[in-house]
Amino acid sequence: MKKLTLNSMLISLAVVLSYAERFIPLDLIVPLPGIKLGFANIVTMFALFFLGIPSAITVTVLRCLLASLLFGGMSSLLYSLSGAFFALNVMILLKLGYNKFFSLLGISMGGAAAHNTGQIIMASLMMRNTAIFSYLPFLLLTGLGTGLITAVITVNLFRIIEKTNSV
Amino acid sequence: MQLKPRAGDYVIIAAIIITAVLMAFLFLENDSIEKVAVITHNNTVLDTVRLDRVNDRYTLNYQGEYPGTIEAENGRIRFSHAECPDQVCVRTGWISRPGQIAVCLPAGIIVKIEGNVTDEDIDIIVR
Repeated sequence: MKKLTLNSMLISLAVVLSYAERFIPLDLIVPLPGIKLGFANIVTMFALFFLGIPSAITVTVLRCLLASLLFGGMSSLLYSLSGAFFALNVMILLKLGYNKFFSLLGISMGGAAAHNTGQIIMASLMMRNTAIFSYLPFLLLTGLGTGLITAVITVNLFRIIEKTNSV
Repeated sequence: MQLKPRAGDYVIIAAIIITAVLMAFLFLENDSIEKVAVITHNNTVLDTVRLDRVNDRYTLNYQGEYPGTIEAENGRIRFSHAECPDQVCVRTGWISRPGQIAVCLPAGIIVKIEGNVTDEDIDIIVR
Protein backbone atom coordinates (compact mmCIF):
# COMPACT_ATOMS: atom_id res chain seq x y z
CA MET A 1 0.00 0.00 0.00
CA LYS A 2 2.81 2.34 0.91
CA LYS A 3 4.52 1.50 -2.36
CA LEU A 4 1.35 2.19 -4.36
CA THR A 5 1.00 5.61 -2.76
CA LEU A 6 4.65 6.38 -3.32
CA ASN A 7 4.47 5.30 -6.97
CA SER A 8 1.41 7.48 -7.58
CA MET A 9 3.09 10.44 -5.93
CA LEU A 10 6.17 9.96 -8.08
CA ILE A 11 4.08 9.79 -11.26
CA SER A 12 2.32 13.05 -10.45
CA LEU A 13 5.62 14.66 -9.45
CA ALA A 14 7.19 13.59 -12.76
CA VAL A 15 4.23 14.96 -14.72
CA VAL A 16 4.50 18.29 -12.89
CA LEU A 17 8.25 18.42 -13.57
CA SER A 18 7.71 17.71 -17.28
CA TYR A 19 5.23 20.57 -17.31
CA ALA A 20 7.41 22.92 -15.25
CA GLU A 21 10.45 22.53 -17.48
CA ARG A 22 8.43 23.93 -20.37
CA PHE A 23 8.95 27.27 -18.64
CA ILE A 24 12.72 26.86 -19.06
CA PRO A 25 12.75 26.71 -22.87
CA LEU A 26 16.28 25.57 -23.70
CA ASP A 27 15.38 25.64 -27.39
CA LEU A 28 15.35 29.45 -27.18
CA ILE A 29 19.12 29.30 -26.67
CA VAL A 30 19.86 26.20 -28.75
CA PRO A 31 17.17 25.61 -31.39
CA LEU A 32 17.32 21.83 -31.55
CA PRO A 33 14.15 19.75 -31.79
CA GLY A 34 13.65 17.71 -28.64
CA ILE A 35 16.13 19.57 -26.43
CA LYS A 36 15.07 19.73 -22.78
CA LEU A 37 16.39 19.58 -19.24
CA GLY A 38 14.92 16.16 -18.48
CA PHE A 39 13.87 16.87 -14.89
CA ALA A 40 11.48 13.91 -15.03
CA ASN A 41 14.59 11.76 -15.04
CA ILE A 42 15.23 12.80 -11.42
CA VAL A 43 12.05 10.94 -10.50
CA THR A 44 13.01 7.94 -12.65
CA MET A 45 16.41 7.71 -10.95
CA PHE A 46 14.79 7.99 -7.53
CA ALA A 47 12.36 5.16 -8.37
CA LEU A 48 15.20 3.06 -9.79
CA PHE A 49 17.45 3.46 -6.75
CA PHE A 50 14.94 3.38 -3.89
CA LEU A 51 12.02 1.32 -5.19
CA GLY A 52 13.48 -0.98 -7.81
CA ILE A 53 13.18 -1.68 -11.52
CA PRO A 54 9.42 -2.53 -11.66
CA SER A 55 8.60 0.77 -9.96
CA ALA A 56 10.89 2.70 -12.28
CA ILE A 57 9.21 1.16 -15.34
CA THR A 58 5.68 1.82 -14.01
CA VAL A 59 6.44 5.42 -13.05
CA THR A 60 8.16 6.15 -16.38
CA VAL A 61 5.47 4.65 -18.65
CA LEU A 62 2.57 6.23 -16.76
CA ARG A 63 4.37 9.58 -16.58
CA CYS A 64 4.82 9.60 -20.37
CA LEU A 65 1.19 8.59 -20.89
CA LEU A 66 -0.21 11.24 -18.54
CA ALA A 67 2.05 14.06 -19.71
CA SER A 68 1.15 13.37 -23.34
CA LEU A 69 -2.57 13.18 -22.56
CA LEU A 70 -2.48 16.43 -20.62
CA PHE A 71 -0.26 18.64 -22.75
CA GLY A 72 1.12 16.72 -25.68
CA GLY A 73 -0.51 14.52 -28.24
CA MET A 74 -0.12 11.19 -29.92
CA SER A 75 3.23 12.06 -31.48
CA SER A 76 4.60 13.46 -28.22
CA LEU A 77 3.65 10.16 -26.55
CA LEU A 78 5.69 8.19 -29.10
CA TYR A 79 8.67 10.54 -28.71
CA SER A 80 8.66 10.52 -24.92
CA LEU A 81 8.08 6.74 -24.69
CA SER A 82 10.92 5.94 -27.10
CA GLY A 83 13.28 8.31 -25.31
CA ALA A 84 12.26 7.02 -21.89
CA PHE A 85 12.52 3.38 -22.99
CA PHE A 86 16.12 3.84 -24.20
CA ALA A 87 17.10 5.94 -21.18
CA LEU A 88 15.62 3.53 -18.65
CA ASN A 89 17.28 0.49 -20.20
CA VAL A 90 20.68 2.18 -20.27
CA MET A 91 20.31 3.41 -16.68
CA ILE A 92 19.25 -0.07 -15.46
CA LEU A 93 22.39 -1.50 -17.07
CA LEU A 94 24.69 1.24 -15.73
CA LYS A 95 23.21 0.85 -12.24
CA LEU A 96 24.69 -2.67 -12.15
CA GLY A 97 28.08 -0.97 -11.89
CA TYR A 98 26.92 1.73 -9.47
CA ASN A 99 29.57 2.75 -6.92
CA LYS A 100 32.12 0.38 -8.44
CA PHE A 101 32.41 1.89 -11.92
CA PHE A 102 29.80 4.63 -12.18
CA SER A 103 28.36 7.38 -10.02
CA LEU A 104 25.00 9.06 -10.56
CA LEU A 105 26.82 11.44 -12.91
CA GLY A 106 27.62 8.76 -15.48
CA ILE A 107 24.22 7.11 -15.06
CA SER A 108 22.43 10.43 -15.59
CA MET A 109 24.57 11.43 -18.60
CA GLY A 110 24.28 7.97 -20.13
CA GLY A 111 20.52 8.15 -19.65
CA ALA A 112 20.36 11.57 -21.33
CA ALA A 113 22.37 10.35 -24.32
CA ALA A 114 20.16 7.26 -24.63
CA HIS A 115 17.04 9.42 -24.38
CA ASN A 116 18.18 11.66 -27.24
CA THR A 117 19.16 8.66 -29.36
CA GLY A 118 15.77 7.03 -28.80
CA GLN A 119 13.93 10.21 -29.73
CA ILE A 120 15.93 10.75 -32.91
CA ILE A 121 15.34 7.12 -33.95
CA MET A 122 11.60 7.61 -33.36
CA ALA A 123 11.64 10.92 -35.27
CA SER A 124 13.40 9.36 -38.25
CA LEU A 125 10.90 6.49 -38.25
CA MET A 126 7.93 8.83 -38.06
CA MET A 127 9.22 11.20 -40.73
CA ARG A 128 10.66 8.29 -42.75
CA ASN A 129 13.81 10.34 -43.24
CA THR A 130 17.25 9.84 -41.73
CA ALA A 131 18.32 13.48 -42.28
CA ILE A 132 17.20 14.25 -38.72
CA PHE A 133 20.17 12.20 -37.41
CA SER A 134 22.44 15.17 -38.14
CA TYR A 135 20.97 16.79 -35.01
CA LEU A 136 22.06 13.87 -32.82
CA PRO A 137 25.70 14.96 -32.26
CA PHE A 138 24.50 18.32 -30.91
CA LEU A 139 21.82 16.70 -28.77
CA LEU A 140 24.40 14.26 -27.36
CA LEU A 141 26.71 17.14 -26.38
CA THR A 142 23.94 19.22 -24.78
CA GLY A 143 22.87 16.01 -22.99
CA LEU A 144 26.19 16.08 -21.11
CA GLY A 145 25.19 19.43 -19.63
CA THR A 146 21.59 18.54 -18.82
CA GLY A 147 22.73 15.15 -17.50
CA LEU A 148 25.12 16.96 -15.14
CA ILE A 149 22.34 19.27 -13.88
CA THR A 150 19.92 16.41 -13.17
CA ALA A 151 22.73 14.40 -11.52
CA VAL A 152 23.55 17.28 -9.13
CA ILE A 153 19.87 17.69 -8.20
CA THR A 154 19.40 13.94 -7.74
CA VAL A 155 22.50 13.56 -5.54
CA ASN A 156 21.28 16.35 -3.28
CA LEU A 157 17.83 14.79 -3.14
CA PHE A 158 19.29 11.40 -2.22
CA ARG A 159 21.45 13.04 0.45
CA ILE A 160 18.44 14.63 2.10
CA ILE A 161 16.48 11.39 1.96
CA GLU A 162 19.32 9.40 3.50
CA LYS A 163 19.79 11.99 6.23
CA THR A 164 16.14 12.00 7.25
CA ASN A 165 15.78 8.28 6.50
CA SER A 166 12.32 9.01 5.20
CA VAL A 167 11.80 6.25 2.67
CA MET B 1 26.28 11.03 -0.47
CA GLN B 2 28.64 13.00 -2.64
CA LEU B 3 28.84 13.45 -6.37
CA LYS B 4 32.17 11.64 -6.65
CA PRO B 5 32.79 10.71 -10.25
CA ARG B 6 34.06 7.18 -10.81
CA ALA B 7 36.39 5.99 -13.55
CA GLY B 8 33.45 4.68 -15.56
CA ASP B 9 31.85 8.13 -15.61
CA TYR B 10 34.79 9.49 -17.57
CA VAL B 11 34.52 6.53 -19.95
CA ILE B 12 30.84 7.42 -20.54
CA ILE B 13 31.63 11.12 -21.06
CA ALA B 14 34.47 10.28 -23.45
CA ALA B 15 32.32 7.79 -25.35
CA ILE B 16 29.53 10.36 -25.79
CA ILE B 17 31.93 13.09 -26.95
CA ILE B 18 33.76 10.77 -29.38
CA THR B 19 30.46 9.47 -30.80
CA ALA B 20 29.15 13.02 -31.23
CA VAL B 21 32.31 14.28 -32.94
CA LEU B 22 32.51 11.26 -35.27
CA MET B 23 28.84 11.63 -36.19
CA ALA B 24 29.27 15.37 -36.79
CA PHE B 25 32.12 14.65 -39.21
CA LEU B 26 30.02 11.98 -40.89
CA PHE B 27 27.31 14.52 -41.66
CA LEU B 28 29.73 17.26 -42.66
CA GLU B 29 29.65 18.07 -46.34
CA ASN B 30 31.93 20.27 -48.38
CA ASP B 31 30.65 23.66 -49.32
CA SER B 32 29.76 23.82 -52.97
CA ILE B 33 28.52 26.38 -55.42
CA GLU B 34 25.58 24.28 -56.45
CA LYS B 35 23.07 24.02 -53.66
CA VAL B 36 19.71 22.34 -53.74
CA ALA B 37 17.29 22.57 -50.87
CA VAL B 38 15.06 19.52 -50.75
CA ILE B 39 11.79 20.06 -48.89
CA THR B 40 10.20 16.80 -47.76
CA HIS B 41 7.10 15.86 -45.83
CA ASN B 42 7.21 12.28 -44.49
CA ASN B 43 9.66 11.35 -47.21
CA THR B 44 7.61 12.73 -50.08
CA VAL B 45 9.44 15.55 -51.79
CA LEU B 46 7.27 18.66 -51.81
CA ASP B 47 9.73 20.75 -53.80
CA THR B 48 13.40 21.23 -54.61
CA VAL B 49 14.94 24.68 -54.81
CA ARG B 50 18.20 25.55 -56.55
CA LEU B 51 19.43 27.95 -53.86
CA ASP B 52 22.25 29.31 -56.03
CA ARG B 53 19.68 30.20 -58.65
CA VAL B 54 16.99 31.89 -56.61
CA ASN B 55 16.90 35.26 -58.28
CA ASP B 56 14.22 37.06 -56.42
CA ARG B 57 12.52 35.23 -53.61
CA TYR B 58 11.02 31.80 -53.29
CA THR B 59 8.17 30.95 -50.94
CA LEU B 60 6.35 27.72 -50.27
CA ASN B 61 3.23 27.51 -48.14
CA TYR B 62 2.52 24.07 -46.76
CA GLN B 63 -0.76 22.97 -45.25
CA GLY B 64 -1.66 20.33 -42.68
CA GLU B 65 -2.25 20.29 -38.96
CA TYR B 66 0.55 22.83 -38.44
CA PRO B 67 0.82 24.92 -41.61
CA GLY B 68 3.73 27.21 -42.33
CA THR B 69 5.86 29.05 -44.87
CA ILE B 70 9.34 28.32 -46.17
CA GLU B 71 11.23 31.06 -47.93
CA ALA B 72 14.49 31.10 -49.84
CA GLU B 73 16.68 33.86 -51.17
CA ASN B 74 20.10 33.98 -52.77
CA GLY B 75 21.84 30.90 -51.35
CA ARG B 76 19.85 30.37 -48.17
CA ILE B 77 16.53 29.02 -46.96
CA ARG B 78 14.47 29.06 -43.76
CA PHE B 79 11.12 28.48 -42.13
CA SER B 80 9.84 32.06 -42.07
CA HIS B 81 6.56 31.25 -40.39
CA ALA B 82 5.04 28.20 -38.74
CA GLU B 83 2.02 27.47 -36.64
CA CYS B 84 3.60 24.61 -34.74
CA PRO B 85 3.68 24.87 -30.92
CA ASP B 86 7.46 24.74 -30.38
CA GLN B 87 8.67 27.18 -33.12
CA VAL B 88 12.03 25.40 -33.20
CA CYS B 89 11.87 25.36 -37.02
CA VAL B 90 11.54 29.15 -37.22
CA ARG B 91 14.25 29.75 -34.60
CA THR B 92 16.67 27.53 -36.52
CA GLY B 93 16.91 30.51 -38.88
CA TRP B 94 18.60 30.56 -42.25
CA ILE B 95 20.55 27.51 -43.37
CA SER B 96 22.96 27.79 -46.28
CA ARG B 97 25.57 25.01 -46.20
CA PRO B 98 25.28 21.57 -47.79
CA GLY B 99 24.45 19.02 -45.11
CA GLN B 100 22.53 21.49 -42.97
CA ILE B 101 18.91 20.79 -42.13
CA ALA B 102 15.96 22.70 -40.73
CA VAL B 103 13.16 20.63 -39.30
CA CYS B 104 9.61 21.15 -38.12
CA LEU B 105 8.99 18.02 -36.10
CA PRO B 106 5.28 18.66 -35.38
CA ALA B 107 4.54 19.32 -39.06
CA GLY B 108 6.84 16.54 -40.28
CA ILE B 109 8.70 18.86 -42.66
CA ILE B 110 12.45 18.59 -43.30
CA VAL B 111 14.47 21.04 -45.38
CA LYS B 112 17.87 19.64 -46.30
CA ILE B 113 20.56 21.34 -48.36
CA GLU B 114 22.43 19.12 -50.75
CA GLY B 115 25.53 20.13 -52.64
CA ASN B 116 27.20 19.11 -55.90
CA VAL B 117 24.12 18.01 -57.72
CA THR B 118 24.16 16.26 -61.01
CA ASP B 119 21.54 18.49 -62.45
CA GLU B 120 19.12 17.85 -65.26
CA ASP B 121 18.08 21.50 -65.18
CA ILE B 122 21.28 22.46 -66.98
CA ASP B 123 20.56 22.37 -70.71
CA ILE B 124 23.97 23.35 -72.00
CA ILE B 125 27.27 24.55 -70.60
CA VAL B 126 29.08 27.13 -72.70
CA ARG B 127 32.79 27.52 -72.08
